[in-house]
Amino acid sequence: MKAIESIPDSQLLLFKSCMVGQEYPGVETSTRYVFDRLGVDYCINDKQSCCTGIGHYTDVFEGLTTTAIAARNFAVARSCGYPNITCLCSTCYAINKEACEVLNTNTEIREKVNSIFREQGLENLVYEKDDMNPRTNFYHAVEILLSKVNEIQKQKKFDFSGVKAAAHHACHYYKVKYLDVLGNPENPQLIDTIAAACGAEPVRWYEDRTLTCGMGFSQLHLNKDTSLQVTKTKLDSLQKAGVELMIHMCPNCHIQYDRYQPVIEEEFDVKYDMVHMNIAQFVALSMGAHPYKVCGFQTHSVPLEEFLEKKGIV
Amino acid sequence: MIPYVNEYDTPECNTLAETAKKSIRTPASLGLDRCIQCGACTASCPAARFTDYSPRQIVKKVMENDRSVLESEMIWSCFYCYSCNVRCPRNNSPVTIVQVLRQMAINEGIGVEKLAYFLEIGEYLAENGASKVPGAGVKNMERDLGERWIRFKKNLESTRVELGLSSRDIRNTNGEVQAILEATGYFEREKWIKAKIQEKRLHRLLKNQCINKENKSGDFSFESDREYSGQPAFTI
Ligand code: SF4
Ligand code: SF4
Repeated sequence: MKAIESIPDSQLLLFKSCMVGQEYPGVETSTRYVFDRLGVDYCINDKQSCCTGIGHYTDVFEGLTTTAIAARNFAVARSCGYPNITCLCSTCYAINKEACEVLNTNTEIREKVNSIFREQGLENLVYEKDDMNPRTNFYHAVEILLSKVNEIQKQKKFDFSGVKAAAHHACHYYKVKYLDVLGNPENPQLIDTIAAACGAEPVRWYEDRTLTCGMGFSQLHLNKDTSLQVTKTKLDSLQKAGVELMIHMCPNCHIQYDRYQPVIEEEFDVKYDMVHMNIAQFVALSMGAHPYKVCGFQTHSVPLEEFLEKKGIV
Repeated sequence: MIPYVNEYDTPECNTLAETAKKSIRTPASLGLDRCIQCGACTASCPAARFTDYSPRQIVKKVMENDRSVLESEMIWSCFYCYSCNVRCPRNNSPVTIVQVLRQMAINEGIGVEKLAYFLEIGEYLAENGASKVPGAGVKNMERDLGERWIRFKKNLESTRVELGLSSRDIRNTNGEVQAILEATGYFEREKWIKAKIQEKRLHRLLKNQCINKENKSGDFSFESDREYSGQPAFTI
């Protein structure tokens, strides 16, 4: 298990996420807003590419391609002096961490990847064993937030007291490399702890707390019915628990819940009362960020206007 | 067409189990041989909850070296949610085994139609250094999500600028990503998959345009838990 004291606050490469960039760009700006105020030493580097997660988990990329792309991004991180890869997306987190493990432990693959780099004249990308450490060089942005929870509380400008909030902890954070996570994957409290520090009232034990969001990479497109049924199961239990706000830590889950909630309402003839936010948007809001100029709520499918007005934020 | 060779995902071995264990997709510590068929994976599985899919049965087929599993629609139902991975008491990982099975199926041209949808991701990545929802997915989303989403997509560039970001999320990869995709055989495989899809379409067209579609939602010669009547209850 990861120790909270071991989470770094410097030399973080804030790893850009494609799905954040294209669907919820406010998650990136919110994270930056919060990191800036917490004095976190981070950098964003345009040379960093997509982790390949979308292609890898829709089965179109081979493991070798994924590993080589990861090695390239590790070189980008190291060469700019920010080797602690900090992801906004749980799939980027899992892909990078796994690729690092493969590169360190599988000599055949490491040599293959390096020979490809050499052949292509990309010597600068060559990865030597243990250039990165799968345990200490890879983080999810929410871990950084948790490690700074006291500071967040101190800087809190807006209190979410009385807001019934529920967390959806991402599968690719908690269930892939499950021995190296903050807390217990069967009883994750990462988001709840941060939400509570901002005054919200976390709903801890709702049914199917650890159920996946239902996106399932190709599943949303190939088996849409099952995909939406899974999502509906979770939304139903949140509705039953009287949840007003659902907080996420992954843009894929965010798309599935926020974009597809109205679709499920229509297709299954149901009605839900909750709105959705990423944890970084939530923390930024509580630290005084502008809901539209920083948090980017205008890109959401479930409108937040009513919620923000009711809580006195706008 | 000859089968595609995908060395690291599906190393050639005598048994499915050996291939699964050696694959780059599964952890080195994979506890496949340790599986006790307890069913914790299936009990945790969202796909099993809503369909006849069962990771426990898939693992059993792999242990029995039953290659018919590659033909089963079942392997295409996994969400890759890793719930089985976290719950397995023997450090087995049905989710990564399913990934290997899909790769093996693809190599033999089985299920390649399902990839048609996602192939665009590679080209876009090579060009922009980022991934995107493929065009067909965008069409689905437009249909499902309607006006609000279409409007947001139209305004995406100006929204990003408003937020202080570059207007488009394009990475500066200096051709390196393109070179890596090229050299790791991505484009070659993509070409092979596309040709295979064509071949299958043509084949189907010539063979039988009117034979009813087989019902593929059922149980595919898998033992069915439902038919098992169980041991008689022990009454005192
Ligand atoms: S949970 Fe693990 S040990 Fe149990 S049936 Fe599934 S793979 Fe086998
Ligand atoms: S990863 Fe696949 S097999 Fe495992 S629990 Fe999720 S849907 Fe089921």
